[in-house]
Amino acid sequence: MIGPSIIIKGEVTGDEDILIEGRVEGVINLNGNQVSIGESGDVSADIQANVIKIDGTVTGDICASEKVVISKSGNVSGNIVAPRVMLEDGAIFKGSIDMDPAGIASKEAPLTSQQPANSAATHMTSPGLDLKSV
Amino acid sequence: MQKSSRQLSKLLPSLFKHIDEGELVTVFHVGPALPETVDFFSNYRCKLHFVDLFSALPIVCNEDTTALLEQQLAQALTFPSDTRFDVCLFWDLFNYLNSDTIGVLLTALRPHLKDNSLAHAFSVHNLKTRHNSHLYGIQQLDVLSFRHRLAAPPGYAPHSQNQLKQLLHCFKLERSVLLADSRLELLLHASL
Repeated sequence: MIGPSIIIKGEVTGDEDILIEGRVEGVINLNGNQVSIGESGDVSADIQANVIKIDGTVTGDICASEKVVISKSGNVSGNIVAPRVMLEDGAIFKGSIDMDPAGIASKEAPLTSQQPANSAATHMTSPGLDLKSV
Repeated sequence: MQKSSRQLSKLLPSLFKHIDEGELVTVFHVGPALPETVDFFSNYRCKLHFVDLFSALPIVCNEDTTALLEQQLAQALTFPSDTRFDVCLFWDLFNYLNSDTIGVLLTALRPHLKDNSLAHAFSVHNLKTRHNSHLYGIQQLDVLSFRHRLAAPPGYAPHSQNQLKQLLHCFKLERSVLLADSRLELLLHASL
């Protein structure tokens, strides 16, 4: 577990499940495992895992080989690639969802810290676009 | 979030009738993602693009602001260059946009349409139709879900059906259904 007061900048890799209650910036690559972002978790990173469960805040692209669950307290801005995506009532999501199982395998190339986090999140849609000034 | 209600839709099944089982469906959805919509599409191979233009309302285009609006909408509608939408779900967005803004929006969207793109929208039977502020989603192939918005988006100024037909320059009206509350449900076909 990454506790609420912990801040990590860089690449998180490994071979076990993780619960993030703190802040992570960079890349999270836990293929075959579960990444849980707790209610106090604040992640600004691309995430790759087997199952990704989000109760907190995520800005970045998410790729799961099994499923992504965004709970009622979850807030995600980015693009999701997974065969199964579940939003609970109250979840906030901005971006795109790709549920094309045939295309997912090709998108599961390991993330590295060379790749910019949130690349698609920033070039994709701009739901926060302020058009009111027009 | 408000609880959802259900409403049968005669036109919704037509959006999907040309999509074969196992075929990839690419969807442009105006408004926030609702759980039931994501769940519905999980039965398809799909790519869903959610753009909540409602949260940017009022979007007002006039002579002085056209260029800036074009630039901002182009940014908001930036998709991978090979993206071509099979289905566009506009819901009641056009009731909140003036004529010029609709033109700018569709111009930005046009490169991502294809000859057989289909779209769904709500319009009004007459301009005095009461303002219903809902979030829309898809429950089943022939059932819409809607939830009352906590705050109504600003700028409600619906167009007549004839006006709207003129404004939707890259779509033609394929079918419309009059709903009980004097709104119109529209099925649109791309006309490129």
